Amino acid sequence: MAKVNKLDLALDEYKGGKSTLCPGCGHDAISSVIMKAAWENSITPDGIAKMSGIGCSSKTPAYFLRQSHGFNTAHGRMPSVTTGANMANKDLNFLAVSGDGDTASIGIGQFIHAIRRNLNMLYIVENNGVYGLTKGQYSATAEEGSQKRKSVPNELKQIDLCAMAINLGCSFVARSFSGSRKQLTALIRAGMSHRGMAVIDVISPCVTFNNNEESYKSLQYVKNNNEELHGLDYIPHFNPIEEVEIPSGGYKEVKLHDGSYLRLETISEEHDVGDRMMALDAIHNADVKDKHVTGLLYFQEGIPTLDETENLVDTPLAELSEDMLRPSKETLDDLLTGFRA
Amino acid sequence: MEKIVNDFTINIATANGTGSQSANLILLNALFRMGTHASGKNLFPSNIAGLPTWYIVRVSDYGYQAPGDNTHIQVVMNIDTWSEDIEKLAPGTVLIHNTDVKAPVNRDDLIVYPVPMTSMARKINPKLSKMVANMIYVGIMAEMLEIPQDILEEAISKQFGGKEKAIEINSQASISGREYFKSELEKKDHFYVEKREKDENRFLIDGNEAVALGCIYGGINMLSWYPITPSSSLAEGIDKYIPKLRLDKDGKSTCAVIQAEDELAAVGMVLGAGWAGARGMTCTSGPGISLMSELIGLAYYAEIPSVIWDVTRVGPSTGLPTRTQQGDISMLYEASHGDTQHIVLIPGNVDECFEFGWKAFDYAEKYQTMVFGFTDLDLGMNLWASNGFEYPDKPMNRGKVLRTQEELEKIENYGRYRDVDGDGIPYRTLPGSGLEPIVSRGTGRDEDGVYSEKASVYRTNMDRLKKKIEGSRTDLPQPVFREEEEQDLGIIYYGSMENTIQEIDDILESTGMKVSQCRVRALPLSPEVDEFVRRHKKIIVLEVNRDGQMYGILRKEIATELVPKLYSVAFSDGLPPKAVEYAEAIIGTLESFEI
Ligand SMILES: Cc1ncc(C[n+]2csc(CCOP(=O)(O)OP(=O)(O)O)c2C)c(N)n1
Ligand code: SF4
Ligand SMILES: [Mg+2]
Repeated sequence: MAKVNKLDLALDEYKGGKSTLCPGCGHDAISSVIMKAAWENSITPDGIAKMSGIGCSSKTPAYFLRQSHGFNTAHGRMPSVTTGANMANKDLNFLAVSGDGDTASIGIGQFIHAIRRNLNMLYIVENNGVYGLTKGQYSATAEEGSQKRKSVPNELKQIDLCAMAINLGCSFVARSFSGSRKQLTALIRAGMSHRGMAVIDVISPCVTFNNNEESYKSLQYVKNNNEELHGLDYIPHFNPIEEVEIPSGGYKEVKLHDGSYLRLETISEEHDVGDRMMALDAIHNADVKDKHVTGLLYFQEGIPTLDETENLVDTPLAELSEDMLRPSKETLDDLLTGFRA
Repeated sequence: MEKIVNDFTINIATANGTGSQSANLILLNALFRMGTHASGKNLFPSNIAGLPTWYIVRVSDYGYQAPGDNTHIQVVMNIDTWSEDIEKLAPGTVLIHNTDVKAPVNRDDLIVYPVPMTSMARKINPKLSKMVANMIYVGIMAEMLEIPQDILEEAISKQFGGKEKAIEINSQASISGREYFKSELEKKDHFYVEKREKDENRFLIDGNEAVALGCIYGGINMLSWYPITPSSSLAEGIDKYIPKLRLDKDGKSTCAVIQAEDELAAVGMVLGAGWAGARGMTCTSGPGISLMSELIGLAYYAEIPSVIWDVTRVGPSTGLPTRTQQGDISMLYEASHGDTQHIVLIPGNVDECFEFGWKAFDYAEKYQTMVFGFTDLDLGMNLWASNGFEYPDKPMNRGKVLRTQEELEKIENYGRYRDVDGDGIPYRTLPGSGLEPIVSRGTGRDEDGVYSEKASVYRTNMDRLKKKIEGSRTDLPQPVFREEEEQDLGIIYYGSMENTIQEIDDILESTGMKVSQCRVRALPLSPEVDEFVRRHKKIIVLEVNRDGQMYGILRKEIATELVPKLYSVAFSDGLPPKAVEYAEAIIGTLESFEI
């Protein structure tokens, strides 16, 4: 019998349609982590809303969680559509996937403003440094000097989405790599437990256009130049399904909104996830060495989410009945009397 | 010379930001309280302070609401337009001017009333003299036209709603104007206002506030908006009424309001709300619609209930941002790339603004599509007379939403995009329900919502969408007719032209022409419009834009054999349509075709 989670569901129940991406694409590896993370967290698939923009990455919601509704919106517009859906139904669990073109270029304004509003969502950027779906043009996250297949080196500076998110006061900012399955699983599970905007920038090699050795986002390059801030374990608020090994060195725990923990096992220098400057430093230090720093960069609990600042009624707006939505005839009569006075 | 009663136009030339607006509204309101048909048009610049503004008040016992073609009483306060304003006046016009501006009046063929308005105002309140000066001309005109002081006081109280200090200063200023007229000037003109029986049901309101209230009573759940004249006051209207009308007993809101980062985001939020089962809406003007176009197509194709109100202004580009035009109608009807067709509701007065305000949501959810409301700066921002809004006469129509497993099971062969009922409108389930989930998208999909690029699948789906919207033709607000017995000539018009049509008709009739009228109130067109064209020999399509946009839509949509009957009369200069100009254009068109 297949292993089941707290909801008595097998991992199969969290799967989606067959992927049509290139074999070996980093995005597929992330999809498989998403399925596993949702399953391990025992999230009801019904309650999840899968959101995406346009790109190879944004196609992936069709390839996981077939029992969840999804919306593959328009290029760069996923954050605003998610904002509206969030206002309509604040009980939905928003799981969003975007690409580096979708987020760092055409949709950068919406990315910024979704963070500013602290939408309650998990925002995964599948970052390959190119526009995969339009056949491999450089994106704004390609590093200066990085070189994609059959091309000249990229001449412009990269936009670092994590640094940007931290500057904007995002409450959960992490970077990971599609090839670091354990780290990515822990981060996605934690991102799902977080209340507020969780941004995870996942380096996700495009095997077709940007996987040559001169590229800083190729599989091999990231493997060799990945500076992990810490080892990561996610400990769910219910009895853990998996055994979590106690690390031999020191560790810190980050308590998440739903009572789960993210255990940070210190590897090198101690990183304080509550310290913005330290997070920006870590990004900068890696950048000057053409390295990638991965792990939970920054975390802050308790910032009000948009649905809280909007002071909405407890029932999701989409479920309100007419008597809650249409004021009575007497109120209109009163208004008209006032107008006529 | 005989008295001229309730039949004249006042033009008040000021600069914006000087507080003239409240004085002008008090004058309009006082005229309205006397039971006269008075309308006010604000011609304002795209600027916050210091640029020329004109307020045009028309008083007409015939009920004419368009700005008159001639000015009978001119008030000049603004040095910058002084000589130009005065030069334009016809001999015999009344000129009331502020002598403290210290500018010359080089005309001896006018009836001139010089008044030291600023000095008089200074005596009342030195700090606010610039603003108070505006109430002096109101007082002068009240005395000159014989508007009773008690009515003026009522209008002042209404304007300042309980602010005692403001009421006192303004009333003092109006009295001071009156006294000055009595003691220093002698009435040489023939203009008078006389009381008429006032219909106690009537009141003045602008279209934006009427739409805002319509939305509130239509159960709006989310307003997203990005500020743009002339639509901002619509959004602000909704925001204003939520605390009063849309909070639950714990003070929590049933409608979110989000000031978006731009129109791309505003429309995205509308789609998100509609997709998740709520009533989302945004309002904007032409430039915003241009930005929203991509997602308008997504709403059409992915079949997401969405509402956008376009309060149009003069285009293209930034155009004349504070002037009026019916310039977006063809854009709205087919907004976005590929084959699209959207429902457009076109109110012609403030009562319909309210009605279509709530109905837009019902249509959007019923047809699972984008629904536009179309007004313009003239209807949206100027005060129009209302007869009172009708409370919605039917319950909210939430459309074909399946909320439970039982409801789902009753549908034979459910598929998100399957035409189960034969009306082209599919059923849908909502995120969070776990019922028959799909990934909604703007790319090709089959009847079950599964990605597909098959030629036949695409075509069948597009044909169904067409059929769905076709079905709305007889369901949307139907045209309003005023028909003559002999049916030689008919006029088709829409929207704010309603304010001018009666006067155009009277002018044409005075030349011996009897004309029927058909006011279009929605797109796609009702089959009744075809019938109207069929019944008449010739049809003029009358509108406030250069290219005859509705004319183009008609040519495309009515039966081919009727097309030769259509003639376009269309132009736009940014001002609300004046009757004589349009009547002359109609006559000119008929003559040029030797009809
Ligand atoms: C408005 C608009 N402009 C351009 C495109 C074409 N387009 C489709 S995907 C894409 C880039 C996607 O890049 P990214 O988000 O990095 O996704 P990836 O394919 O790399 O995963 C572009 C430019 C589009 N679909 N819409
Ligand atoms: S083109 Fe690149 S990003 Fe797109 S599917 Fe192929 S490998 Fe993945
Ligand atoms: Mg990419």
